[in-house]
Amino acid sequence: MMTTGIAVQCADPALRTALEAWLGGLRLAAPPGLALDVAVMDGDFESLPTTVFEQPDVKFGPGPGNRGIRLTWDYAPALADVPAGASVATVRLSPDAVRHLERCTRTFLMAVVIVLLRRAGWYHLHAATAIDPSGLGWLVAGNAHVGKSTTAALLAATGWQVGTDDAAFLARDQDRILVHTCHAPIALREGGRRLLARAGGVVLPNRGKVGFWPEDLGGVWTPLVSPDIVIFPTVGKVRTTAEPMARKDALTELVRWSAWVMLEPDLAQEHLDVLTRLTGQARCFRVTLGRDLFTRPNRLIELVT
Amino acid sequence: MSERYVRHPDLRLADVEGDGVVLHLGSRRYFSVSESGLALLQALEAPRTLPELVDVLLERYEVTPEQAEASVRQFLETCRTADLLVPESGG
Repeated sequence: MMTTGIAVQCADPALRTALEAWLGGLRLAAPPGLALDVAVMDGDFESLPTTVFEQPDVKFGPGPGNRGIRLTWDYAPALADVPAGASVATVRLSPDAVRHLERCTRTFLMAVVIVLLRRAGWYHLHAATAIDPSGLGWLVAGNAHVGKSTTAALLAATGWQVGTDDAAFLARDQDRILVHTCHAPIALREGGRRLLARAGGVVLPNRGKVGFWPEDLGGVWTPLVSPDIVIFPTVGKVRTTAEPMARKDALTELVRWSAWVMLEPDLAQEHLDVLTRLTGQARCFRVTLGRDLFTRPNRLIELVT
Repeated sequence: MSERYVRHPDLRLADVEGDGVVLHLGSRRYFSVSESGLALLQALEAPRTLPELVDVLLERYEVTPEQAEASVRQFLETCRTADLLVPESGG
């Protein structure tokens, strides 16, 4: 079960087991040597002196000595330090945070893992990943509400291999940029489920969404994609269209959806270089997703090949 | 005494087939620049005077010294407004 390279150090055996189960369930083949050093403690948790970045429930600021990153959780007291160059994140959880462990792992600890993975040269991008029947690797980059999850579910239902609907990790592998993903359900809102005419799934707590594993939709989960095509979608009305993008424009879009590039000056250039290399490796398109995709899913392939 | 310029240490550059994309980590902004703008920002990794920057353009493009100087002055003004430069004083 444990395919992750991220170890858990924790004096509380029940918590350690729960966190190992969470990391194992992600099936993330992370580089070895990374670890979460987790302790549970009462008392005051320091607030961040300055916030340099935030996402739902989680704030990021400079770490001690202005080096590395400190993260805090809004939902319950929790704090993590990921020093510059370190392969171990020091995590302090309040008992209240432990009581909300599912939410804590999904938001706070996942953010810690994202920061930690940057230390190993894995750079986060908001993107869905897939491999089409001919073997081409696809990235569908963008934020929520641009159709990533619905597209990923549709492609899975058409028999494509699908990696993720949201969190991709870019890493160098010799001359290629590869994309690693977690094993997580594709999270669909009501609108996406209606378009796909899908019932069932697993209710995802606190998210207002229902999750579908790629396998449940008729697809196959793939942990690794070598991107040949990158699309930046928006949701349209009727007809799906695709417009080739200049590399410079594609790179600015990738920067937009890989916001962590702005964190930590020491890692920013390498992160930017990985995004730049991706624009040379893959053909990039601005795509408007239309309703016709639900009757002709392969129209995406026709438009870009 | 001539004014020398150096690019802001928070800048990170990407060269995409000659054109550039620039990140400003301090302000968390990003933008694209032209080929000549990228060449000047690359040169500004070390402190440069205006004549030295004019030479950068003259070495790369078929322009007159007057055209190059006008371009550099406009570029420096744009960079100053966007907080992309750190002025230095040199001999």
